[in-house]
Amino acid sequence: MAIKFPSVEFFQELARRMEAKSAEFEKLGFCDTVMGVRVEGDTSHLYALTFDVFECSNVREISHAGDVELDFTLAAPRALWREMFESIQKHGQPEPGYTLNSLSHVGDRMEVVYDDPEGHDKFYRFMATLQAFVDLASDLEIEWV
Amino acid sequence: MSYYGSTDFSYNSDFNLRIRDIKKGNLDFGWLDNTRDKVEIRRRDARRGLALSDCEVGPYSIENSPEIVRDNRGLAPRGAILAEGSDQPDLGPTLNRKTDVWGYRVQSYWEEAMSRQWNVTTDVPWQDMDKYEIPDEVELAFCQLCTLLSEVEMIATDLPAKWSHHMNSYFQEVKGFIATQCVDEARHAEVFRKRALANGVGLLRASVRGEHALKGILEADSYSEGSVFLHVLGEGFILTLFRSSEFISPTPVEQRMFQLVMQDEARHVSYGLQHLRYLMDNCPEIRPQINGFLDEAERHLTGLFNPDQLESMIVLGGKGTSPECIKRGIEVVGAFQGKQIQEYFQRADRAGLPERRDRSPLLELQERMIGMIQAS
Ligand SMILES: [Fe+2]
Ligand SMILES: [Fe+2]
Repeated sequence: MAIKFPSVEFFQELARRMEAKSAEFEKLGFCDTVMGVRVEGDTSHLYALTFDVFECSNVREISHAGDVELDFTLAAPRALWREMFESIQKHGQPEPGYTLNSLSHVGDRMEVVYDDPEGHDKFYRFMATLQAFVDLASDLEIEWV
Repeated sequence: MSYYGSTDFSYNSDFNLRIRDIKKGNLDFGWLDNTRDKVEIRRRDARRGLALSDCEVGPYSIENSPEIVRDNRGLAPRGAILAEGSDQPDLGPTLNRKTDVWGYRVQSYWEEAMSRQWNVTTDVPWQDMDKYEIPDEVELAFCQLCTLLSEVEMIATDLPAKWSHHMNSYFQEVKGFIATQCVDEARHAEVFRKRALANGVGLLRASVRGEHALKGILEADSYSEGSVFLHVLGEGFILTLFRSSEFISPTPVEQRMFQLVMQDEARHVSYGLQHLRYLMDNCPEIRPQINGFLDEAERHLTGLFNPDQLESMIVLGGKGTSPECIKRGIEVVGAFQGKQIQEYFQRADRAGLPERRDRSPLLELQERMIGMIQAS
């Protein structure tokens, strides 16, 4: 059954898949951060994803960034998130321009929002885990809403 | 041999007699005379196993050790029972004050480093290299970049190694963390060497300016100066350079390589930031010295923007050498240099040195350099 994007269920499904692939994520190592994902559109959505040791232990939709202490937030228009996930689905992994780092670096197609540089640096400290997490959508049936 | 101990135990008759006695089964259990009270160790999170922070209890805890370690000058771990008098040898540690080396959350950086190790030989998808065609000029530019990065990694291995034995052994977590950094940096030098050679081009020109800049890191007068130069300033810049390199990587193989190295680099930057913060919070009188040092270090660092590196980044950023490619490459390089400097100021701010933004020569130097490239 297709899962709607954006939705809490979408990220919960990725969290479930992360748990199912525990060996892969244990090899990547401890990952401790609270990441925000903002999907911008007519109605914008903000999700707080808590990564804890080897799992994504909590996914919530929040109304304001201040509701949860986020280390950093990846913010992009809905269309860009869709392009990223479609690129992952096409090749099993993102094409070079669609990795989380590439999207959020020069050109700022995806914005990295943060108050504290310590929180910001966690994006890079856990990059391989966060990339592997979004790559878990490679064979997920998605309904774009 | 340059160290002859005050006692030659091999010819010491008391010692030899005692050993003979022990071997006959006459144990006196003197080493249990001053045992400490039992400690209660609790694994706070079973998924993490037994963490260093779980072992921060009683006399073993850094919180309970004095700001300046005076009793131990040897190799005893924090919490061990020292011999009476001055029997423990003096190994001459020069970093005996917590503020000399300590950083907030250093135990957790150790755990993170240990759990996030990776292997160049097996974790980079080298087998995929044949799948991609890389234009010659792009491959050459990439190998030039790998050459500079290899030089950078050498100094990043040597700086922590140089200071480790100067640290009092009570600061075991910092010594441990910088040992993980040595391994991380050795791995980075390995990955850049292997990648430069993998497609047959090999390593290109070593950098004169770059190496002068890196020498400044190694020659810092104190560990804190070396750390702020390497961890906060240098590695902060290199972290952004790795991000940029991932962005301009010719294929997913190099992207994977940079995703993995940037994780280690960000961890080193985080420790450096926490050491600087700890230092500024607990030893504010050092501010003028650190500022004076950074005035010079920031000038030094511009050596890393040497022409060979800039040109290779421009070719990679623009994905070629046609005028349009070069124009695009200049834009990409200009954008990431601006980011490097801004992110450095943010970290300095967070560590308690907001004045870097006003006193730093970096912005002016950047403007002059970008202006020069654009003019050419
Ligand atoms: Fe490195
Ligand atoms: Fe490093």
